[in-house]
Amino acid sequence: MVWPLAAALVYALVVHFGGRTVLDPYYAILLVTIGINITLAVSLNMVNGFTGQFSMGHAGFLAVGGYACGIVTYYGSAKVFGSTAMRQGQLCGMPLETAGLPFLGGGEWFFLLALLVGGLVAAGLGYIVGLPSLRLRGDYLAIVTLGFGEIVRVVIQQSGKVIKAGGGKSAEQLIRDAPLYTLPGSVGGSLGFDNLPKYTSLFWAHLAAAATVLVAYRLKSSTYGRAFLSIREDEVAAEAMGVNTTKFKVRAFVLAAFFAGVAGGLYGSTLGVALSPVDAGFQKSFDIIIMVVLGGLGSISGAVVAAVVVTLLPEWLRGVAEYRMIIYALTLILLMIFRPQGLLGVREAWEMPLLRKWMGGKRGGT
Amino acid sequence: MDQLLQTIKDGISMGSLYALIALGYTMVYGILKFINFAHSDVVVLGAWLSLVMADTTTRALGGAGAAGAPWWLGGAVLVTAMVACGLIGFTIERLAYKPLRGSPRLNVLITAIGVSLFLQNTGQLRAVFGTNPRSIPPLIHDATLLTVGQVNFKLLDLIGFGTAVALMIGLDYLVFHTKLGRAMRAVSHNRVTASLMGIPVDRVISFTFVTGAMLAAAGGFLWALKYETIKQPADSSWVLLGLKAFVAAVVGGIGNVRGAMLGGMAIGLLENFGSAYLSSSMKDVYVFALLIVVLLVRPGGILGKAVVEKV
Amino acid sequence: MGNALAPEVDGREAGRNVSGAVLDISGVCKSFGGLKAVQSFSLRLGPGDLQGLIGPNGAGKTTCFNLLTGVYRPDAGSITLCGTQIVGMRPNSIARCGMSRTFQNIRLFGDLSVLDNVRVGGHLRVRHSMFSAILRSAGSRASEAAMRRRAMSLLTFFGLADRADEVARNLPYGDQRKLEIARALATEPTVLLLDEPAAGMNSGEKVALRDMIRRVRDEFKVTVLLIEHDMGLVMDICERITVLDYGETIAAGTPAEVQANPKVIEAYLGAEEGVHA
Repeated sequence: MVWPLAAALVYALVVHFGGRTVLDPYYAILLVTIGINITLAVSLNMVNGFTGQFSMGHAGFLAVGGYACGIVTYYGSAKVFGSTAMRQGQLCGMPLETAGLPFLGGGEWFFLLALLVGGLVAAGLGYIVGLPSLRLRGDYLAIVTLGFGEIVRVVIQQSGKVIKAGGGKSAEQLIRDAPLYTLPGSVGGSLGFDNLPKYTSLFWAHLAAAATVLVAYRLKSSTYGRAFLSIREDEVAAEAMGVNTTKFKVRAFVLAAFFAGVAGGLYGSTLGVALSPVDAGFQKSFDIIIMVVLGGLGSISGAVVAAVVVTLLPEWLRGVAEYRMIIYALTLILLMIFRPQGLLGVREAWEMPLLRKWMGGKRGGT
Repeated sequence: MDQLLQTIKDGISMGSLYALIALGYTMVYGILKFINFAHSDVVVLGAWLSLVMADTTTRALGGAGAAGAPWWLGGAVLVTAMVACGLIGFTIERLAYKPLRGSPRLNVLITAIGVSLFLQNTGQLRAVFGTNPRSIPPLIHDATLLTVGQVNFKLLDLIGFGTAVALMIGLDYLVFHTKLGRAMRAVSHNRVTASLMGIPVDRVISFTFVTGAMLAAAGGFLWALKYETIKQPADSSWVLLGLKAFVAAVVGGIGNVRGAMLGGMAIGLLENFGSAYLSSSMKDVYVFALLIVVLLVRPGGILGKAVVEKV
Repeated sequence: MGNALAPEVDGREAGRNVSGAVLDISGVCKSFGGLKAVQSFSLRLGPGDLQGLIGPNGAGKTTCFNLLTGVYRPDAGSITLCGTQIVGMRPNSIARCGMSRTFQNIRLFGDLSVLDNVRVGGHLRVRHSMFSAILRSAGSRASEAAMRRRAMSLLTFFGLADRADEVARNLPYGDQRKLEIARALATEPTVLLLDEPAAGMNSGEKVALRDMIRRVRDEFKVTVLLIEHDMGLVMDICERITVLDYGETIAAGTPAEVQANPKVIEAYLGAEEGVHA
């Protein structure tokens, strides 16, 4: 029970300090993005892969989590610390000497709280959206969730300006003067919610990724995970065996929304990212879907591998950037025709026949 | 009073466009039971093809603008765009969807997303349509035909509405009064039995895609005429357009041709009344709210179960 | 062996044996559009009964199972399972109340392993929460281990233990049928509904199946209702048989009584020569 958590922590620490020493800023941020994308892909996999439902609005939860987290770190910081600026924390991507701040300084714990708020807000919304729509047939769910993402985008676009310094007053003064209830609505509209404190570091991004993978794996290998999978396999039979299919679908959906919200918080607080309504849109959702389908619906290790590949691919394809999405699209089509189960299908990498042979024995099971 | 009239007019003209596009979704869903996500991209293709053709022909004919364009040019562009999109619809079905006959519905859905992304991003290429919004040159002088109060009824309004209605009547005739239409309904009802009865199922499915794509092209053409600027192929407004048309199909009763027409009108009117009398910035929200309500209260849609005959 | 045929009627009048019946179905009707699929279907199963439900194709047998398990909702009538009125409950709640079933057209979880199929059946008896499964608390681990042991012993009972790690879809047909029964038993049912368990089996397998159904009833202390086309099998093991035709109950009684009933013979004539297939 304790060891995997410790392992996740150690992993995140190794990536953090290893990454910061070895990588230059550009690649460090790319590595942060990999962590965020792993979180997104593995969490969407809980819905689309485990329960076989098809959500197309994962980016909606990403954006909601990102904005909620941003509201806490920006306006919350102003209220709590009296400043909207970042309070300690290690700017990821910056060389050690310039950022030379203590690891896990005071503001970072506040950031952790903000991430959890982002996740919980997204999860709550997931419950509200999921409860009615998960009663619907699979492809209607796709439409409803796609519509949900677009609605989030439209609603965020209607929001007011971010309260920043101006008119001779500092941002902190203006925030203090503004009524509390107006703050969540002041997130920048279509201009985006910029100048958030950039707390996201390799540590937090990869801790979230490791935690998501751990939760997903433990679920999948538990009786609850088997109940999820049974829905995907045969909903009628699952019901007849006593699985409350609606309840389980909603559970998977809410859990996935939570992690997407956390990932959104990390994304919005990454150096060089300005959170904007576009992040809630279908294009972002499609990116995540591509990772999940590519890796194999239901396979956690597949989703991880696909998240890494899909994040790095634009780097390799930079010469033909225009064709990147076309290549994705063709990959999806060809995959469905020739290998519809994706890279790994429902199985994990270590369960593949070839690897099993190498390892000379069976693993997995309980 | 003027506002009411204007809203009704806008609602109907928008609704007829939604209906035209919804027909393609509903026909494909009726026959293959999957959401053809790429349908809205065929609409985009229709709009852009119309634009490029109108642009090149008016330029070739020497004068830009309505005065220089002969009266038949609009019709010619429409027909060409429809034929071209029909061919593309045929190709998509044969290459991407046909190999998946009998696979799980999720796989077909993912393929449709793939096709949609493919069309969007191919259209974005510099060599194809590019990423800059453009506008179609005027093909016809937009004379005001009738003015009631402050509301103008223009020639383009009439042409747009007339074309949509004519196409829908044509489709209704095709589906309910021809042998081919009967074959389509039979395939929709039960594909296996239909093939046992000697109906060439693959050909009927192809034909359905071609018809849907042609109607989508017409929708794109009318859209191009109606709006000043045509946005880049991967713009999110196109996806929203497609989504709303799909919502129209669901609201009317998916798989039901007349339901799609009704649903389209309902969505068009709802959207325009909502933006005129409530708040225009939330107009997309009304449509999805309606979708949720319909799915929860009457999952089959308005005409879902009432009409047995489905396509 | 729990075959309380005679006292049933008296018991009902005395209002005493109502609680004695494990499953009490009375006056259940269902129609689809104009088609009356099942008409005033009544049946009582006592503890440990092994009864049969037969009838020509399309007689409404599987519809009855679907009504009992909550897949369809009856238009009228009442179904009481261990004293609980289950009409209108969702299938998963009915399973929780103690009714489990197999499917005529096998519906296993094809991509899951044989062991996992059985463990899904055991899920509804699990006590630990999803949260403790994520934390992998000591309680959850003990519960998972117990579940695995139970599932393995069920697989051993059905002779499937050595195929536990295989993917269910790869099992031969006869084993898939057995796995469905194992999965249904994993829910710890009081009443087990078997929908044509012998379909597609050869005569040797059928003999084995006959013994197995009896052993299932005795070892797991379940009440069994069996739909079966193989008359030999039904007549052999069922203590009481109900015959449906066009949704109507045309006969009910012991195998001998049913076989002698002219209505039954008439219903089967044309399709088969007499009741013995």
